Amino acid sequence: MLEAKDLSKSFGGLKALQQVTLRAEFGHSVGIIGPNGAGKTTLFNLLTGEIKADSGHVSLDGMSIDTEPIHERVKLGLARTYQVPRPFAEISVRENIRVSMMEDNLKYMLRVAWDDTGEQEIAESVGFTAQQLDQLPSELAMGDLRKLELARTLATNPKVLLLDEVFAGLTYGEIEHISNLLIERRKTHGTTYLIVSHDLKALQPLVDDVLVIHGGNVIKKGTFDEVVSDPQVQNAYLGTG
Amino acid sequence: MNSTLRRGIYGWIAFAVVMVILPHVVGTGVTRSFVFAMYLAIFAVSWDIMSGRTGYISFGHPFLIGIGGYTTALLTYHLHWPLFLSIPTAVVITMIGGTLFFFPALRIRGTYFALVTLAFMELIYGLVQVIAPNVTGGTRGLSGLETIVTGAIPNYYLALVVLLVLGFTMWLVIRTHIGTALSAVGMDEDAVRASGINVTRLKLFAFMLSAFAAGLGGALYVHYLGSIAPRALFDVGFLFQILVACLLGGAGTISGPIAGAFFLTFLLEWLRPYFPGPERFLIYGAVALVLYVYQPNGLHELVRNGLKRLNQLKLSRNTS
Amino acid sequence: MLQILVQGLVLSGFYALIAVGFTLIFSVGRVLNLAYGSFLMLGGYIYYQGAQVVGLPKFPSLIIAGIAGAVFGMLVYRILVKRLSGNVVAVEIATLILAVVVQAAVVLVFSPSPKSMWPLVPGVLRIGDASVTYNIFIAAVVSWILLGGLFLFTGMTHMGRAIRAVSMDSKGAVISGIDPERVNILTWAISGTFGAIAGVFLATYTQLDPNMWVTPLIIAVAVVIVGGIGSILGSLVAAHIIGMLETITTSLIAAELRGVATMLIIIAVLLVAPKGLFGKSEL
Repeated sequence: MLEAKDLSKSFGGLKALQQVTLRAEFGHSVGIIGPNGAGKTTLFNLLTGEIKADSGHVSLDGMSIDTEPIHERVKLGLARTYQVPRPFAEISVRENIRVSMMEDNLKYMLRVAWDDTGEQEIAESVGFTAQQLDQLPSELAMGDLRKLELARTLATNPKVLLLDEVFAGLTYGEIEHISNLLIERRKTHGTTYLIVSHDLKALQPLVDDVLVIHGGNVIKKGTFDEVVSDPQVQNAYLGTG
Repeated sequence: MNSTLRRGIYGWIAFAVVMVILPHVVGTGVTRSFVFAMYLAIFAVSWDIMSGRTGYISFGHPFLIGIGGYTTALLTYHLHWPLFLSIPTAVVITMIGGTLFFFPALRIRGTYFALVTLAFMELIYGLVQVIAPNVTGGTRGLSGLETIVTGAIPNYYLALVVLLVLGFTMWLVIRTHIGTALSAVGMDEDAVRASGINVTRLKLFAFMLSAFAAGLGGALYVHYLGSIAPRALFDVGFLFQILVACLLGGAGTISGPIAGAFFLTFLLEWLRPYFPGPERFLIYGAVALVLYVYQPNGLHELVRNGLKRLNQLKLSRNTS
Repeated sequence: MLQILVQGLVLSGFYALIAVGFTLIFSVGRVLNLAYGSFLMLGGYIYYQGAQVVGLPKFPSLIIAGIAGAVFGMLVYRILVKRLSGNVVAVEIATLILAVVVQAAVVLVFSPSPKSMWPLVPGVLRIGDASVTYNIFIAAVVSWILLGGLFLFTGMTHMGRAIRAVSMDSKGAVISGIDPERVNILTWAISGTFGAIAGVFLATYTQLDPNMWVTPLIIAVAVVIVGGIGSILGSLVAAHIIGMLETITTSLIAAELRGVATMLIIIAVLLVAPKGLFGKSEL
């Protein structure tokens, strides 16, 4: 279970997040929505440890991870994708995935990669073809870059997965594929998802709860239907009120 | 995957065989040039493991090499330590010196890192001359140092053994997961962290390997020369040779920098009969510059592109 | 005490000129020119050739050195830097190689042995009980005139404002119709001139030799690191910190430690505040 309590963060005078609290049980999936600049990505950065919170606590599985560095959090099972994909530009798709699959100890890392079935499996699960494994990220289209981003995250074998705009730039077919993959994985592995997305239609089948962030504050929590029908949310976010 | 590794190992065997035979074919003068080329290659390999892939460009490698050299020089010259103790001590001290490079690397990278390491080199250059010049020999350095073996051919084989062992080991290391991870560090360090890898430990490992090679190479080199002086070691010209060997050969490949070191040394030798005067160094530098600007990824990339084109040619011939 | 203050101020003004010529390139083109020391060396040697070999008067020789610096700067940009644009590390390494090539060229043309230069203006200036040579005093005055000129130029003229615009936001500047090519060329020319003139002073202050490009490069790097890469104001402040500190070290502790103090500041600043005192961007 991932739990965040009263997370706050300011950049200079700008309050990016104020006292944000959230809980996600294992196997539970939470959508996070809000307008641009609401603080969604900041929230993810605080959860993964990429930036330090001014105040508040994060715990995973009941254990405080406030002092854990990024890579330790990943090893504990908390992984993320980036909104703008950040592949390793000059190594192949296979090697990109390999970096995430490595065990974090030098003895393991001093081995030659003799077989790549693990990398292949993950690459195929997100929808890569066998030929694409040897391609460089620069040769991939946006949709494939998102897939690579997801594959790299899945390769760390996460318990809690933070997905930042994984559907942006994908075709309907690709969205459906990824969506099914996530649903399937949740069934088999009990993975928890925190999903930031502007694509509400894609979000709907994936999430149990939705959190609406606006101006650094959580303005609404509830089921998908409750949240999207809430007039305050519509006003702040959908702009249709 | 396996086939490239196998091909590489064949390459190393071929290289070793040629190098073992060589001194029996060429004259003493050329053998001596090869000794220098091999030391330069050892230093280039050391640079490559720290900087070739990670993006932590070292402009201060002579600093590390110099620590190794000065440690063993001082221990043998003043305290009369035997070489089998002074050289390992020099390697250890160099690795401690390597941590001095490592601390800035926790906070800064790229150009800043390069400049700090350059500052380290200039700092030690200043200090060696000022602090206890009666011990270090000051600006003039020390000469009459003990030599390990004498004569061109024994020195040749000594350098060859060290180069083969160090070079091949490092070459294997970058073909393991470590090599992939080091490349990834050079591309996006934070994303490597987000892949669950302790980047700090990884960098420390690379830095220590690099310092090990620099310290060992530096210590053996001063015992080969029999002398040591600050301007011969802590010098931009020396840095230039290491850097250019790596870049012309192809940084991050280990085999490339070795080839680069041989190329540079023999370019200079080859120019000697035509240009005995100082114009040799101008041409040498200009060739390096033109080659670098033409292909910043080095000879290695040129060879790889050539092979690729050849393969494509074969493929198109087969399909047509 | 007054002696240290006067000496330090004068040296600092001169260092400011060295550093601004260097940081100007970074602030506009986002690359570090490690061949900057060669600008100084060439300036020094061309002045030497003009004033002490050919026998021209001093002032025209200085002007010729400045013009040669501008031409050299533009050539470096056109032939080398532009070709590698976009690859910051490649530019740094290529310019470093170039510096070594220029050194070899200088050895070839002028021989490797050092040459001593006559002071621009002989004599000693006394201020109270402090004294500085006219030569270094003139160097500081000329430095301030050039820096002031640069300030006016970037503030008042159209082209100067274009330089400022590109240094603040190069993409935005392109959108608003500024030709980045012209701005870059001009910046390299200014940097070349500043470097060459600083080189003349440096050579009269120390001596001419084919290794002389390393020290000013390190000074420029030191000033720029302490002040923050790309910040002109930072460079001015940092030049004074470093100039003063050097004067204090050399006059109170030991002359040989001149460079050591500077290196220690560089390392300390990089560790404590990697962006420098006024830095806006990190590499």
